Amino acid sequence: MVDVKTLLQELREEPYEKIVIRAPHAGTVEFVSSTPGTRVVGPSGTWKEKPGTLLIRLEREKNKKPIYAPQKGEIMALADLKPGEFVQAGQELMTIRHYLTREEVIGRILRQSLFLFLAPEKGRYYFIPDVDIKIKTKGSQSVAVEEGLELFILSRMKRETAIRYTGPSGIIYAIYFDTNDSVERESPLIGVCPEDQLGQIQEVVSRVQSDWEEQD
Amino acid sequence: MKTTNELKKHKVLIANRGEIAIRIMEACCKLGLKFVALFTAPDQHSEHCVMAQKLGGDESLYRVSSYLDANEIFAVADHAKATAIHPGYGFFAEDYRFARRVAQRERKLIFIGPSWQVIRELGDKINTKRLARKLGVPTVPGSDKPVTDDLEAENIAKSLFDFQKEQGVGNPVILVKASAGGGGMGIEEVTDLDKFRSVLRRIKNYSKRQFRDESVLIEQRIFDFNHLEVQVLADRTGMSPVHFGTRNCSVQSLGRQKRIEVAPGFDPTSTRYAFDAQKVLEDITEYSLRMAKEAGYDNIGTWEWIVSPTGQPFLMEVNTRIQVENGVSARIASIKGQKGVDLIAEQIRVGLGAALGYAQEDICLEGVGIEYRIIAEDPDNKFIPWVGRITSFDWPDFPWLTMHTQVPRDREYEIPTDFDPNLALAIVWGQTLEEARIRGKEFLHALTLCGENASGEALKSNISFLERKSDTVLVF
Repeated sequence: MVDVKTLLQELREEPYEKIVIRAPHAGTVEFVSSTPGTRVVGPSGTWKEKPGTLLIRLEREKNKKPIYAPQKGEIMALADLKPGEFVQAGQELMTIRHYLTREEVIGRILRQSLFLFLAPEKGRYYFIPDVDIKIKTKGSQSVAVEEGLELFILSRMKRETAIRYTGPSGIIYAIYFDTNDSVERESPLIGVCPEDQLGQIQEVVSRVQSDWEEQD
Repeated sequence: MKTTNELKKHKVLIANRGEIAIRIMEACCKLGLKFVALFTAPDQHSEHCVMAQKLGGDESLYRVSSYLDANEIFAVADHAKATAIHPGYGFFAEDYRFARRVAQRERKLIFIGPSWQVIRELGDKINTKRLARKLGVPTVPGSDKPVTDDLEAENIAKSLFDFQKEQGVGNPVILVKASAGGGGMGIEEVTDLDKFRSVLRRIKNYSKRQFRDESVLIEQRIFDFNHLEVQVLADRTGMSPVHFGTRNCSVQSLGRQKRIEVAPGFDPTSTRYAFDAQKVLEDITEYSLRMAKEAGYDNIGTWEWIVSPTGQPFLMEVNTRIQVENGVSARIASIKGQKGVDLIAEQIRVGLGAALGYAQEDICLEGVGIEYRIIAEDPDNKFIPWVGRITSFDWPDFPWLTMHTQVPRDREYEIPTDFDPNLALAIVWGQTLEEARIRGKEFLHALTLCGENASGEALKSNISFLERKSDTVLVF
């Protein structure tokens, strides 16, 4: 079992995450929040339906894409760009300093507590349709996995291959990939909690919830 | 119609990647046109990025998030002051909505490809089938509209099994195809109705994931066929299309992906066929031009054919775009006695409004061209793509060889997993089929392609498969 106390201490020493906002696509840029030090908030609401602070508008083909703060924090730095300047996809636009939330701390600690099933190859991953439906309707923790279970479809170069799960039996406690992203080889796909360790994992979660104070 | 000098004011945005992007850049340079190229993060080390900067300067290369974001492509086109868009193959090449937007947006651009109306008409396999049937062009028996309803699909499948039994086919087989698919992707065979439902479900799921479209086509499976193509080109008048002969694309992987293409499609001078091969070539060429004229075809395109072992041709589909294998047809062609035909340059020229400037009798075809698709894959294990780092890639520069590749010769290269697995196209030419085969094997033997993946496994390639198949190309 992981040493939660030590991990929490390490995180308290460096409780910030630097979030770099990059241009998701090419277009002309307009900063809305442009003063370093400005406090920003991330999305909120039960389903994160309320967007965070509007930071930037990126226009392509008369289509203004709003870029909101993905997390709570403060603006650290802005790229040296004039209003209306054309930027290319991936170009750095802004940096935000974000104080870790309880949920993020739990996520970080769980990564060290759960059994991580790693991507055997680089590519895009999907759950097989039956599992996908179950996760979408009942959540990942409703899915039990065991050695040899056909769990994923690996899609690369327009070819699809079934991937079987290898590891201890348990439930899918965390999902670490998005179906639209290309996953690097050996990146974690899911975190599995063996059924006999479910109590310990829940203890870790409660411990972080009581010990980690969030910033206002 | 525009003169060649009038064309030179144009700047072409190349909405594609890899070797086809390089060929379009080179064609633009040949025609004296400026261009602008795109790349995405996984392609940052591709040779097409190096070539774009070498041939067009730093200003000619833009990073985008995706080759499939139309708005982003238009934003780059406007910023770079492009006047035309070349879609290459794949991506937007056969998307009539995209072609229509290119032509109708506020700052209008030229789509270098057939007009959107032609793409809509012929890019749809069903419409194509209907047009073919109207003109007396033979097509494969099967559905003549995309099918989404499972019950309707099952009825069609049943009627196709019954039809084949009536025709005396001992073991009837049908194909279930993703309607939005292409290039051999999303196709499965079914041998009996009991298995049909599970195959239908699998293809629909695959199609939904890959193309966001669930509709399928259901057709009779024709066995032991040869896959032939007719290369067609026409200018914007759509009045007098010409052809650049035929190609045989029958050497394919298990997943029906082309691996070797040969021009011309048959060689009756050196090879025996159980039917009149010359007549089949003439028939499919005539059928293709008949359809092109009727549709007012106005750029480059390929008519794809299945030829049965008894020499019966069936139209499969029309590809309303430049194809990967265009170079092998160009390699055997001359126009008004001039060799070195570049079909991409021709496509751009007529796409920008120039007259074709020659007729069918001005086109001559000489010798045999063989195109090899060099791919990192394992032919002994279902042609599964091999992914890793290429550490060396080199070949002797034979005078009869043309190479098209995005893989650098002078540095290592990580194969991106987001795209087709093609590494290179090698086109060899010989005066006869025998000479082309010998040269092909000589090239493959001399080719160096090495690499390893993260587990230290050595690169796997299809080179030995291509060598083996060289001996039997055009044998039917």
